[in-house]
Amino acid sequence: MYKITTLLIGIFCFVFSIIILAQQNFSISGTVKDYKTGELMIGARIYLKESPTIGTASNAYGFYSISAPPGSYTLLVGFSGYLQDTTKLVLNNNITHNIELFEQATELQEVVISSEKKHNENLVKPIMGVQKLTISEIKNVAVIFGEKDVLKTIQLLPGIKSTGEGSSGFYVRGGGADQNLILLDEATIYNASHLLGFFSAFNSDAIKDLTVYKGAMPAEYGGRLSSVVDIRMNDGNSKDYHASGGIGLIASRLNLEGPLVKDKGSFIISGRRTYADVFLMLSSDTTIKKSSLYFYDLNLKANYKINDKNRVYLSGYFGKDNLGLGGNFGIDYGNSTATARWNHLFNSRMFSNTSFIYSNYNYNIHIVNGTNDIIIKSKIEDFSLKQDFQYYVNNNNKINFGLNIIKHKLNPGVIDASALSNFNSLTLQSKYDYENAIYLSHEFSPTERLRLNYGIRLSAFTIMGPGNFYTYDSTGLTIKTDTYNSGQSVKTYFNLEPRFSASFQINEISSFKASYTRNIQNLHLLSNSATTNPTDLWIPSSLNVKPEIADQVALGYYRNFNDNSYEFSSEIYYKALQNQIDYKNGAELRANDNVESQLLFGKGRAYGLELFLKKKTGKLTGWISYTLARVEKQIEGINSGEYYPAKQDQTHNIAIVGIYQLNNKWTLSANWVYNTGNAATFPSGKYIINGQTAFYYTERNGYRFPSYHRLDFAATVLGKKHKKWEDSWTFSLYNVYGRQNAYAITFEDNPDDTSKTQAVQTALFRWVPSVTYNFKF
Amino acid sequence: MKSLNIKWILPFIGFLVFNTACTKVIDINLNDAAPQIIIEGNISSESGPYQVQISKTINFSDANIFPGVTGATVIISDITDEMKDTLTETSPGIYKTKNILGLIGHSYQLSVTAEGKTYTAISTIPSQVKLDTITFQKTNRFGKVHINSVVNFIDPAGIVNYYRFIQTINGVTKEGVHLFSDRLADGKFINQQINSDSLEVGNIVKIEMICLDKGAYDYFRTLRQVTGGNNFQSVSPSNPISNISNKALGYFSAHSTQRKQAVVK
Repeated sequence: MYKITTLLIGIFCFVFSIIILAQQNFSISGTVKDYKTGELMIGARIYLKESPTIGTASNAYGFYSISAPPGSYTLLVGFSGYLQDTTKLVLNNNITHNIELFEQATELQEVVISSEKKHNENLVKPIMGVQKLTISEIKNVAVIFGEKDVLKTIQLLPGIKSTGEGSSGFYVRGGGADQNLILLDEATIYNASHLLGFFSAFNSDAIKDLTVYKGAMPAEYGGRLSSVVDIRMNDGNSKDYHASGGIGLIASRLNLEGPLVKDKGSFIISGRRTYADVFLMLSSDTTIKKSSLYFYDLNLKANYKINDKNRVYLSGYFGKDNLGLGGNFGIDYGNSTATARWNHLFNSRMFSNTSFIYSNYNYNIHIVNGTNDIIIKSKIEDFSLKQDFQYYVNNNNKINFGLNIIKHKLNPGVIDASALSNFNSLTLQSKYDYENAIYLSHEFSPTERLRLNYGIRLSAFTIMGPGNFYTYDSTGLTIKTDTYNSGQSVKTYFNLEPRFSASFQINEISSFKASYTRNIQNLHLLSNSATTNPTDLWIPSSLNVKPEIADQVALGYYRNFNDNSYEFSSEIYYKALQNQIDYKNGAELRANDNVESQLLFGKGRAYGLELFLKKKTGKLTGWISYTLARVEKQIEGINSGEYYPAKQDQTHNIAIVGIYQLNNKWTLSANWVYNTGNAATFPSGKYIINGQTAFYYTERNGYRFPSYHRLDFAATVLGKKHKKWEDSWTFSLYNVYGRQNAYAITFEDNPDDTSKTQAVQTALFRWVPSVTYNFKF
Repeated sequence: MKSLNIKWILPFIGFLVFNTACTKVIDINLNDAAPQIIIEGNISSESGPYQVQISKTINFSDANIFPGVTGATVIISDITDEMKDTLTETSPGIYKTKNILGLIGHSYQLSVTAEGKTYTAISTIPSQVKLDTITFQKTNRFGKVHINSVVNFIDPAGIVNYYRFIQTINGVTKEGVHLFSDRLADGKFINQQINSDSLEVGNIVKIEMICLDKGAYDYFRTLRQVTGGNNFQSVSPSNPISNISNKALGYFSAHSTQRKQAVVK
């Protein structure tokens, strides 16, 4: 602890000396909004024409602040797809200047963008492994079932891979699906999928902005090893009332928004529901008729600007899935979150946000079978406080600091069985934990070409009573039981997480970047099925389960071509993982208070090369992404303790996305993906036991699935424009050439000739066509 | 809790909504592995002779002819009574006991010496739990009536019990591993469904209920995870957990057994 304190004091002293030096400049600060909707804009570029090195990007609440010596300036504000705003200013004191940007008419796009000079944020920002997608990009990319889906679209970016056919689950740089921190308005979403993974939990109508950090995440984020997906909801139109929506084959959407008080506050309500169950009703079969199959989600948000210095936000998310089979079996599950936020401006340079966040994920299973009547419940609940400060010291220095307190409560399971059931009622022990952190980071430019962003996060994970805490030996037998009362702390894991990244601009069009990051993860998902399963179990770090640790170094070369209309980036990374979790053979993970005795621990390593070329302007836009990667694990007790490829190890991964604006009415898009098949365990022999054929396995993940590839196509046509009413149709075809990609491979006796065995591949989807109608008024 | 299997839900959704899932036989180039020894040994509370079967693995592409291992020395000893029986090879790879008896509460050791290696295992015959009745349950599955047999019995409270069931229909023993453990059901009246293809009215259904110890149960539990189409859902299939030493595949099960029969009406 002494070392940590010294280090923190050192950093604070350094930071204060910068602050003192910073005082002779004046600041220009304010918010950036969309003129038409009043939506606060995230990531707009603000800079001075006279000295283009003085610039910044608006933050997650649309706020910006830049400083310059006294003088006359031209302030330029730009955002992709919007007209650049130009304002002349005389700076002789601190100025508040709020900006509203006009959206470009589509047909003007080419001309205007190329007239914009500075568009190379991607080069200069000292941040690596970050991918941003705007909703307009997501809107035009073809996805399965025609439901535009943010989590499926990010899978087309380098380093991000799908967990399986049609799935919204993803792996980032070799990390597990549970190693992604998915935040919706800062609230953790524990299960970001609907319908067993085929849809993401996010209705893209409600989303303003999405940023994926693939490793070098800023110090304000923590808690997962591989990535942060920071999703921000729309604030709602503060000028006018609007409704929009869509009708698709699978789901329909409706979105209402408008001002609470004009230009001061607004609200948005966005809902979505599937109606596959309507078709079930039509069935003559009583099993199907009595079945249910739907999900819905609801996004709510309101904000109110109290005055120039204070704004409050309230947002909520409710999602629910319901699957039932003929009254015999039912499961419902879903996330609910609520975030209350307060933005406060201490002065033109000091921005503060305080958030109170609630997050809940739960599932309920109901089984009725014979005399059995069983309900199984499980829940995770988080209460958290997050305090962030952003201090815009001067143009070369920006400081972020803050703290985060999360109280976790995990109820792994309650089994409520009726008296006549085969099973007894059972309540598994609840787990209580505090996950606390403080952080400080400093973004600064020692020279015009070099920019640094370094910081530190100190995290403390405290395991709390009440409960029995078991210690196991290597065979899984309990060797010690400690009992703690409510409020007693059992153990605290302290971890220092350094975050460092630098960019060096070689010239106007190219730069080098480097980064090093350490991430800690204290909540771990146990899953032994091949698919996303709503009943997968989250467990906290404990006396037996140590915090997972990832250290990642990355190097990158970035280059823009053709007046910044093409962006190219290449990154290489190496990631070392500690305290990784796997399961013993035949592990019993369900309804087991001693689930930790079923685990094995080890380490992992992941490394790769990512290439990305994006065309941002013109009639044809899109990107090509290529990843060469490897991820391996080494776990005592698996594969004789040798390194073996993780399931998600895919050597090559290619995605090509093209969006072509044919004319004012038609937009066409296509994407093609290819990847090496996942690593898998297949038999190397067979034998007979118990009168049936069984298979002999020699090594973990020693084989590969066949390669995966697929082409999708979509076309959107705008309807006739009316004064108030706009509409469009989107037609899409998933898997255009109908390739049967292997979803599962099983081995069995040949039913026609039982003297032989065969491998059988199951493919899920061929040619999934869909049509969606969207409207807006 | 088998009903929680996602394997069961996925095809259901596929069937209802997308109706596009399709299967085909594919060629996969699987490695050949050096042949391994498989030992399958049983001793029960029924009268003998009891049998130990020793065979070897073959390559995946080979025809299903599994070679027996001949010339092995196979001994089953009653540890409780200090009695030994050296088994006789009656046909290639099949070894039978001469006079040893399976008694409830007794522990038995199997010792196999084959091709220069010795493999041992210990298993105990647990007390018998009374099999009450066999009944049948009819459910509607996608418009068709599906008939299952149901085994009814009372699990003795306060002790750990493991069960295995073998179903024979019209004299033909069906494949598949049917198990029950009282881990979450201690002391309950159990009506355990035996999942299979639908039975038909008039079928003579015979069920053997086996009470076995943890080592043998764990073998069958983990065998079930990788056979009978279950390798669909398992991420990383592995060889079942054996109670035999020296990395042999297979199991040695000392168990109590009883049978009942019923006709589907």
